[in-house]
Amino acid sequence: MVGAFDYAPAIVLLPFLSFLVALAGGKYLPKGGAFGGIAATAGSLVLSAWVFLTVSAGNAYNETLYTWVAGAGEETTRLTFGLLLDPLAAMMLLIVSLVALLVHVFSLGYMNDEGETGLPRYYAGLGLFTASMLGFVVADNLLMAFMFFELVGLCSYLLIGFWFRDSGPPSAAKKAFLVTRFGDYFFLVGVVAVFATFGTAKFAGEGAFPVIAEEALAGSAAEVTTFGFAPETWFTILGLLILGGVIGKSAQFPLHTWLPDAMEGPTPVSALIHAATMVAAGVYLVARMYGFYALSPTALGIIALVGGFTALFAATMGVVKREIKQVLAYSTISQYGYMMLGLGAGGYVAASFHLLTHAFFKALLFLGAGAVIIAMHHDEDMWNMGGLKERMPVTYYTFLSGSLALAGIVPFAGFWSKDEVLYEALVHGLGGSPLLLAGYAMGLVAVFFTGFYTFRMVFLTFHGEPRTEVARDPHGVRWNVKGPLVVLGILAATIGFVNMVPVQDLTGIHLEFLHDWLAHGELSALTAEHYGELLHDYAHYTSADVASYVAGAVSLALALAGAGLAHVLYNVPEPTEHTAKLGAVKDLWYNNYYQDEYQIWIATSVVLPLSRLADKFDQGVVDGVVNGVSSVSLFAGSRIRRIQTGVVSNYAALLTLGLTALLVVFGVLGGWFV
Amino acid sequence: MVPVQWYLLLATAVFCIGLFGILTRKNALLFLMSVELMLNAANINLVAFSAYWGNITGQTFSLFTMALAAAEVAVGIGIILVLYRNFDDVDVTLAKGMRW
Repeated sequence: MVGAFDYAPAIVLLPFLSFLVALAGGKYLPKGGAFGGIAATAGSLVLSAWVFLTVSAGNAYNETLYTWVAGAGEETTRLTFGLLLDPLAAMMLLIVSLVALLVHVFSLGYMNDEGETGLPRYYAGLGLFTASMLGFVVADNLLMAFMFFELVGLCSYLLIGFWFRDSGPPSAAKKAFLVTRFGDYFFLVGVVAVFATFGTAKFAGEGAFPVIAEEALAGSAAEVTTFGFAPETWFTILGLLILGGVIGKSAQFPLHTWLPDAMEGPTPVSALIHAATMVAAGVYLVARMYGFYALSPTALGIIALVGGFTALFAATMGVVKREIKQVLAYSTISQYGYMMLGLGAGGYVAASFHLLTHAFFKALLFLGAGAVIIAMHHDEDMWNMGGLKERMPVTYYTFLSGSLALAGIVPFAGFWSKDEVLYEALVHGLGGSPLLLAGYAMGLVAVFFTGFYTFRMVFLTFHGEPRTEVARDPHGVRWNVKGPLVVLGILAATIGFVNMVPVQDLTGIHLEFLHDWLAHGELSALTAEHYGELLHDYAHYTSADVASYVAGAVSLALALAGAGLAHVLYNVPEPTEHTAKLGAVKDLWYNNYYQDEYQIWIATSVVLPLSRLADKFDQGVVDGVVNGVSSVSLFAGSRIRRIQTGVVSNYAALLTLGLTALLVVFGVLGGWFV
Repeated sequence: MVPVQWYLLLATAVFCIGLFGILTRKNALLFLMSVELMLNAANINLVAFSAYWGNITGQTFSLFTMALAAAEVAVGIGIILVLYRNFDDVDVTLAKGMRW
């Protein structure tokens, strides 16, 4: 029977086709190839929806489609491409293809209507990005995931540096590439180590590596190479190596510095790549192999702490930024911190839920910011805006919807998901893993900051009196900008309804569809139910009994406090820079805790001397040995060649002598003279 | 019948005369003659042992060696002619361009 799964490869191939078309013929197509991209992503969306429906009927798909390297023999390591379509992948496919479609449409307004040049290159980049992200989502093994992970990084580089004639974007693109590559280096080592340990990198099915790891810990696995470590230790090391790639891609501390700079790229790119999808790749990877991480309490603890710390750390920096996209960039880092906290705290469903809601509301906020930037003639400084509310109501109300979701105000999407993440951290923290309470505390404080910076941004941009001529008479936007905003605005307001656990607890109405969605499935090793058992058996996570609505009320109160403070300070006709009163703290935050400076310091003061030393060793010792050997040969050759005199008599004499010597040697050895 | 040792002594003597000629003379023609002497020393050995064992193969082989020697002389004479044309002499020590 031909079903959705037979067409699943087309989800990836369609955007790839649009990439080829835009690259080869974009010049001759109307709108620089935009329609090809729109058609391709729309096709992917339809197919994704079909896959989603098929998966929701209880099916799953886990097949190897192509083996590109196979060793000799039966029990050998194979490098393959394959598809893994389970509830998590189906959900992510929908998110990615929907956001990609909306971003393509929005680009018509942001790029085409603004008269940008180089559009085929732009749409080719978007197409390739969408294809590689979708490929990453459906990957059935770690190596394939890694390859698409890198492709995604490449597209990010190409699109951040889209305006390559200015000085900022190319430098930001390089930074993004290098910083994420630094993390990916650990990921690559991790992939190789996984192959060396398990002989396979498949995520699911018979002989998948999380399954083997589980068996190894239970003592029933056939063969696992752990290089002399105890299996628990070694699996933690593997998990942390792969986590390196996650931290780079999902912009977690200390590798988050590339993301704010990546805002140099076109705003739709920021929405697609640096908010909704690519940055999600890291978190998605952890969720994808959650059965592996759930075996290692240490790795989980580190994930939770990094996540909680990043959430707070980035939120504080967002408080003082002047540019609308910078605020959003830091909020992105902070929100991904929450997702990592959720994963580390054992909240697999909570983190996936936050991934889902964040994808929509952050794409919405970035596209809203894009609309504002169009209106402001590409001025991004919020202090030059103000009073845009009356002049662009559609943008205002959709942006408000996204902001309420981001700040976590009931009943918008972000509230439900962020609350659930924090709830998971709290119950597992109280239930015997006190480390998680530190993550919870940081996450909770970050809620207050989130509420504050979000509404500072809203009030500065849309409320009060216009502070410049441009803000008084903004540039209008068309349907192709408003359409995506409205779709995402409605989603940001409503998507939280798929999983309202506090409401369920209060009223008894069944409202946790996402839990149901992820809890069961044909591939039983990939379900939230199974992860729950693993967390309980191996990470020793137990839940304390805390009412979900109490925890929700606490975080809601904090978010409202933050938003209220922003209202008091900034919702006035002529706001002033209250953050300046923070003095040295403001400078610290405005300069991003001097993260860039200290990383440059590391590069110039630590890495550079080390490299010089290595260079000296290479030039002096390694090359010295090689050169020494060759000079001995040269010298010896220059002396010995002198026996080639060119005189025949000498040759004859040497021949005779040689023969005589040979005869004498043979004679002595052969005992002729005895 | 003459014992085979005498033939071997004769052959050794002829060979050593040829070797001495090659090592001491500069004249290319004498070179060629010395080489012929050495070849014929070998021929004497072949024929002597052939007679000693009563086997005709060695004698047949020496016929081949003679033919080979004739061919070699033809080539050698050609080389000597070229040598003379280039150096106006047949002194082998003059032609020493092919060296390090």
